[in-house]
Amino acid sequence: MNRLKNLPTLQIDPEKKISLRYKGKSYEGVQGDTIATLLYANGIRVFARSLKYHRPRGLYSLDGECSNTLMEVDGIPNVRCENTPAREGMNVKAQNVLGSADRDFMAFMDKMSRAMPAGFYYKIFHKPASVWPLVIKRIRKAAGLGKMSPDFDMPGAYDEIYPRADVCVVGGGPAGMCAALAAAEQGLRVILLEARPRLGGSYDYRCTQYHSVSGDRNMPLCQRARELAEQVEAHPCIRVFAHTFLTGVYGGHVLTAFQQGGEADHFTQRYVEIRTESMVAATGCTERPLLFENNEKPGVMQPGCAHRLARTWGLLPGKTAVFSIGHDAGIEAAIDLSDLGMEIPCVADVREDGQDPLLLAELEKRQIPFYRGWAALCAEGGKNLKKVCLSTLNGKHQKNFACDILAAAAGLSPLTGPLTLAGAGLKYDSHSGFFLPEDMPENIHAAGHLLGYEYPPAIESSGTLAGLWAAADCGVSVQNAVREISEEMAALPGPLRGSKFVCGPVSGKKTFICFDEDCTLKNTDQAMAEGFDVPELIKRFTSAGTGPGQGGIPGHNLPLYVALSQASPDSSPRPTTTRSPLTPPYLATYAGSSHDMSKRTPVHDFQAASGGRMERVGVWNRARRFSQNQSPKNKSDDATARREIENVRNNVGMLDASTLGKFRIFGQDALKALQRVYVSDMSRVSEGRMKYSAMCNEDGCVIDDGVVTKCGENDYYLTTSTGRAGMTAEWFRFHSRYEKWDYHIVNLTDAYGVINLAGPSARRVLEKITDADVSHGAFPFSAYREFSVQNVIPVRAMRLGFVGELSYEFHVPSSFMPSLWQILEEAGKEFGIQNFGLEAQSTMRMEKGHVILGSESEQRTTLHDIGLGFLWHRGKPEAKTVGASALAHTEKQKGRLKLVGFKTENPADGVPKDGAPIADDRIRGYVCTCRYSYSLKVTIGMALVEDELAAENTRLGIYTNDGFAGEAMPDSGEYMKYARVVPMPFYDPEGKRMKM
Amino acid sequence: MSVSITCPVCGKRKGYEFRFGGEDKGAKPEESVLADPAAWCDYVHMNECRAGVQKEWWCHKDGCGTWFCIKRDTVKNIEVK
Repeated sequence: MNRLKNLPTLQIDPEKKISLRYKGKSYEGVQGDTIATLLYANGIRVFARSLKYHRPRGLYSLDGECSNTLMEVDGIPNVRCENTPAREGMNVKAQNVLGSADRDFMAFMDKMSRAMPAGFYYKIFHKPASVWPLVIKRIRKAAGLGKMSPDFDMPGAYDEIYPRADVCVVGGGPAGMCAALAAAEQGLRVILLEARPRLGGSYDYRCTQYHSVSGDRNMPLCQRARELAEQVEAHPCIRVFAHTFLTGVYGGHVLTAFQQGGEADHFTQRYVEIRTESMVAATGCTERPLLFENNEKPGVMQPGCAHRLARTWGLLPGKTAVFSIGHDAGIEAAIDLSDLGMEIPCVADVREDGQDPLLLAELEKRQIPFYRGWAALCAEGGKNLKKVCLSTLNGKHQKNFACDILAAAAGLSPLTGPLTLAGAGLKYDSHSGFFLPEDMPENIHAAGHLLGYEYPPAIESSGTLAGLWAAADCGVSVQNAVREISEEMAALPGPLRGSKFVCGPVSGKKTFICFDEDCTLKNTDQAMAEGFDVPELIKRFTSAGTGPGQGGIPGHNLPLYVALSQASPDSSPRPTTTRSPLTPPYLATYAGSSHDMSKRTPVHDFQAASGGRMERVGVWNRARRFSQNQSPKNKSDDATARREIENVRNNVGMLDASTLGKFRIFGQDALKALQRVYVSDMSRVSEGRMKYSAMCNEDGCVIDDGVVTKCGENDYYLTTSTGRAGMTAEWFRFHSRYEKWDYHIVNLTDAYGVINLAGPSARRVLEKITDADVSHGAFPFSAYREFSVQNVIPVRAMRLGFVGELSYEFHVPSSFMPSLWQILEEAGKEFGIQNFGLEAQSTMRMEKGHVILGSESEQRTTLHDIGLGFLWHRGKPEAKTVGASALAHTEKQKGRLKLVGFKTENPADGVPKDGAPIADDRIRGYVCTCRYSYSLKVTIGMALVEDELAAENTRLGIYTNDGFAGEAMPDSGEYMKYARVVPMPFYDPEGKRMKM
Repeated sequence: MSVSITCPVCGKRKGYEFRFGGEDKGAKPEESVLADPAAWCDYVHMNECRAGVQKEWWCHKDGCGTWFCIKRDTVKNIEVK
């Protein structure tokens, strides 16, 4: 198709060709085309088939308000082709068709519409009841738009952005731009959102003359749009988000939107969340559909759609266009399209009077017949439009016109979505015929065309005024400016009288009030006859407005039609509730870019170089084991970390424990805070000593354990489990929030690294690197010492025994960690020092019966349940210890899961997996940790079991489905492994080895 | 998390940065009071769940770490004075 050239309004570059694939063929368009305009330029008129009746559907609006032009693009279903820019090489497919959009084998459905009255699926197929499960499958198959492969991998890059503003203006038309400028002139930060790719709104495609109030600025509207857009874009206080669709407005003035990425952008779509003090909605109007028989036939489109096709994309929509309109912009479009070369046989206006006389004079000049009080009654033709029947509003006189385009609209409806989402109500205004916002929430304003203003300077002034009000919300004094602009507005034409006409005398069988859901006027009548007589109920009964367009087409027609039908002076139907998202973004946009953040310890690289298998544990990367390189003869991978364990038990090993939570708490009330959150009596910790204790929540459930060291007067150093590090400071502060205590807690987790040196030779390694006396007498078990290594590295050393051997924890500033690591490796060489990882640590501590919270506990596990009840000191009620009351209540409680140690009866059965259920005729508990103990040559583990099973020597049945061994259960492929409850610790019960 | 919250130290920030700490129920009662399981349950688990303005605790977890009270309209989900 030839494009119109040299129009000032064009947004295409005819020199730059792009092509896309559709129906196996290549279609060529130009830079600036949307997918819909590119296909339209190539003669495509049928874009899709409708949901229920498979009626052909074509281009109707250009803003994606209905499902007519939803297509599958590059595997993504339901893409809004009207506002998706065409890109080179796109692959486009029609949806909801069996065959093609032109030749759809499901088209016979249209003939069956009589069999499908509103709510038919609620009513039929239910008797006999056995039919329904069969029918539901068929209905589900026929329902829904678009298909997606479960294996589909969503292409593109998705981002998110969280800007702050003082004023956010929704809508980049003349009113929105003026509002943004007015607020920005006050020095406020303004964000301007525009759904179309560029600013301009209703000015952007019109060449009607603009005359400013002062009379000194005269130019076509499209030029005025560029003038305003340049001011906006050049203003340092205004940030413009173009091609950005508002999705929601939330309390506290949070606006959510998504932005469609252009070719130069780094994102396909991005989520935009704006926090603002004040909001201005200047969203303008859309054309309210005129209802008549076959009102959605390809060839029927909104006058604005026909106008923009020609002016923005240089495409004349057809040869001959009949206009049936109810607003001045429709007359303007008819005049302009006539000038651009279309034949206009007539313009019918539902209004008897009230038209702009200048426009009527222009029509007369072009000898276009103008019918007052007439409207389209029926569109006829096959897949495409052939003729239109116009009629007087009462249907008495009718006339047929041959045409291939019918530009039809009943009038305008304001786009009130952002306002209603913000909490405004809607009230019918009989002057404008609009549902206008009432009870506007604080700091929310409306401006421009959506309030009914049509005279351009009035639109602009109303925008400026709203921008000033918004500035006032931000604390700027604007009284004088407001008074000035209000006076100016009073002299300008106010909101125009609008049409509330919906439809002429039609049967309604093929008069579609909602395109997406194939809902006709007849369906609406049926719903009302059934007693569903308000728009909200009609919507649910007929599903009108529930499709992808979310009320874009039926929006304000439905309540107007209901009001007409109710014949009651009291009836005041309102549009159905608008909900977010106003325009649907991709789910991928909500998922955003996945920022996978993880931390490395200061000696990460050393461990990786030593063959450590690094894996994610919470936010950290940690070495699970080092075994793969430790057995040169046996290359097979040893997941049990046997060599690491044996080396610690016999020689000495080192573990990077830097992920431990580490805190300093100090100040004169530090002890009070410790007494509040730890269950033990922390006043018994003397200087230079440590205490192992635990924290509970108010339910008495254990949440953390660790060691508290008293370093000095009112100065403590404490460790927490890795997973709790992020919560600990908050926890302390929360539980002392009502107190005026003077203490400070500092998170040192990342500032300090920790190396655990463990094994019978540990002391001999330590003696080599420090001058301090570290003999058993000078540095006994459970003691804390500060010394330096090689006279440089300040070390906080703790003698502990988590893995059950002589063992030290060295806490050093993170920057010294690599040096200390290397010093230990070097000093330990002669004693056979080796790395050990989490797997070895976990097995060894389990042999000692030491718990890891999270492994041996769950949400409901109390301190008593895991056998740590002895830590609780009940003699400090004045401390109001967190969880103490619950510990008292649950101490003797029956029916709880208790932690027990067990030994399997037959080691040859293999090792049950962690988490395996313990069951007899029902589930009685589960395995927490279970390993083969190389030290003891038996399979041992810890389990949480019902208290009845906790007695020593009780036989536990462990249910497994690993198919290895055990006793087969009858009639199934599952096995039971059996174990006996035994006392803990399993290894070195007297604890001699760690106290060597 | 559409609520924006005014931290006494850092000023007005977006809700994502904060952790909710429950309704303001006053300081914890003495242990002798909480020895009664019903009183303990009332204090620990029962809430007013007011539809309207309530006083509640928030922690600026991604900021200064302070716990503080605000009044929030639970219907509109906005901070009020």
